[in-house]
Amino acid sequence: MLQVKDLESGYGSMQVLWKPSLEVKRGTITSLLGPNGAGKSTLLATIFGSVEPWGGKVIYEDRDVTQIPTHKKVDMGIALVPEGKHLFPNMSVYENLSMGAYLKKALVHKEESLELVYSLFPRLRERRNQMAGSLSGGEQQMVTIARGLMTKPKLMMLDEPSQGLAPKLVGEVFETILKMKEEVGLTILLIEQNADASLEAADYVYVMHEGLIKAQGTPAEIKQSADIREAYLGI
Amino acid sequence: MFSEQLIGNLIQGLVLGTIYGMATMGLSLIFGVLKVVNVGHGAFIMVGAFVTLFLFNALGLNPILAIPVAFIIGMALGYLFYYTTIKRLIKAPELATLLATFAIGVLLEEVIKLIFGSEFRGYNWAVGKVSLGITVLPLSKLYACAGSIIIAVLLYLWFNKTRAGSAMRSVVEDSEGARVCGVNVSGTYALSFALGIGLTMASGVLLTMFIPVGINPYMGGGYTLKAFVIAVLGGLASPYGAFFGGLVFGLLENGSYTIFALIPGVEPFALTRFFSFVMLLIILLIRPTGLLSRK
Ligand SMILES: Nc1ncnc2c1ncn2[C@@H]1O[C@H](COP(=O)(O)OP(=O)(O)OP(=O)(O)O)[C@@H](O)[C@H]1O
Ligand SMILES: [Mg+2]
Repeated sequence: MLQVKDLESGYGSMQVLWKPSLEVKRGTITSLLGPNGAGKSTLLATIFGSVEPWGGKVIYEDRDVTQIPTHKKVDMGIALVPEGKHLFPNMSVYENLSMGAYLKKALVHKEESLELVYSLFPRLRERRNQMAGSLSGGEQQMVTIARGLMTKPKLMMLDEPSQGLAPKLVGEVFETILKMKEEVGLTILLIEQNADASLEAADYVYVMHEGLIKAQGTPAEIKQSADIREAYLGI
Repeated sequence: MFSEQLIGNLIQGLVLGTIYGMATMGLSLIFGVLKVVNVGHGAFIMVGAFVTLFLFNALGLNPILAIPVAFIIGMALGYLFYYTTIKRLIKAPELATLLATFAIGVLLEEVIKLIFGSEFRGYNWAVGKVSLGITVLPLSKLYACAGSIIIAVLLYLWFNKTRAGSAMRSVVEDSEGARVCGVNVSGTYALSFALGIGLTMASGVLLTMFIPVGINPYMGGGYTLKAFVIAVLGGLASPYGAFFGGLVFGLLENGSYTIFALIPGVEPFALTRFFSFVMLLIILLIRPTGLLSRK
């Protein structure tokens, strides 16, 4: 569904991505692991287009989308749930979710998307009229994921969705991600600090370090390799 | 006698205040969305004033009709300056856009001077007056006041009831969040700059309806300063805050004028200006985010 080939990008004159390549198969959860500063967020942002690619290719559904602007990518079914939430704090939960259905294609399905989102996150139905800025950290994280779902994506890229959450909530987030794959039929590219939980949920794993893919394999393969675990994952 | 004069001046201040408010909305909109302080703000007001003057004197066009004309020219100028200048500087340190908008202001002043010369001009639109007993209001001022309120309400509806408006609000709240929702953020930046300049030029028309004299290429500086005070009063990033800031400013300006006029040996008009900026300093000291802002 998604192929990334030799992608390069960075900030200013500082190169961050040094030609990583990866593939995300339809209907799977692909997990991207690696230490802080490895360039994981930059990779997702460059795939999405909020960071401009310097070289390489992004192929989505057999189409070269490397230079396609972000709003067109959202329209094509690519969603990014960014690191650090980026909610609209002075809008209600409902307005935040509505913004997810901003594009016409998503707007047509707004009601059914809302039903889906409220069934995955019942709390959000209760809180729908509350300002997003006044929600708890966990609830805000739910809104971020839910808003991504409202764009009616086929591919969902999640950047550390469990960041800063209590262990119990981390479990809930992973359950939701599994549901999104199994019940909603999404393809998922996931960044996680939480390597154990991530290896549990993923179908395939890439390990990133210093802007490069250093290792890849099934979760079982990664777990077996003491080298990889020690060198990059600290587990 | 004094209280009658004060009430009369306050009514004038309220009318002028709505126009001040409207004349600051463009500045706040541009700051709210782009985080760019448009130092050339007053120069666009001046161009709006010249549009009115030209349409009235050369073509005999009613100033009310100059409002949409100035707005459309403003949108076009806004897009032009956005794509030629601002867009390239958006990611640079703030000083870059300060200098650029300052330069745009100077450019506009000199171009207008080249075309129209630098003498003070005015126009005479005789549409009658209404007497409120205490004070007499020319209808042109009332039209300007009504026009300001209508434009502010339209902007409010556009912001809150349309898709493009909600896109712009989302960019103000969190541009990265807006981007992942599929909002064309760079297009929204361009639109908000154009809209801000359009509103500012339209306010130039409304201001000349209130004060149809003293139109000259350098009239904008004073308005830039007033707009800064008003924007700070209302919270820099909110167009509605700016509108209410304008009301407060109009009342304070006219109210303090009346009081200063009582002090013998004082030129009240000069002291009013002094008073405005003392106010700005005090507000900045006690509430740097603006008097009417939420945060
Ligand atoms: N907006 C930015 N401007 C400049 N440099 C940046 C920016 N964002 C990230 N970087 C730098 O790029 C490098 C990669 O950062 P990135 O956020 O992609 O890493 P990451 O793998 O997501 O790390 P983490 O696990 O901490 O989220 C880091 O050295 C970081 O300092
Ligand atoms: Mg990151």
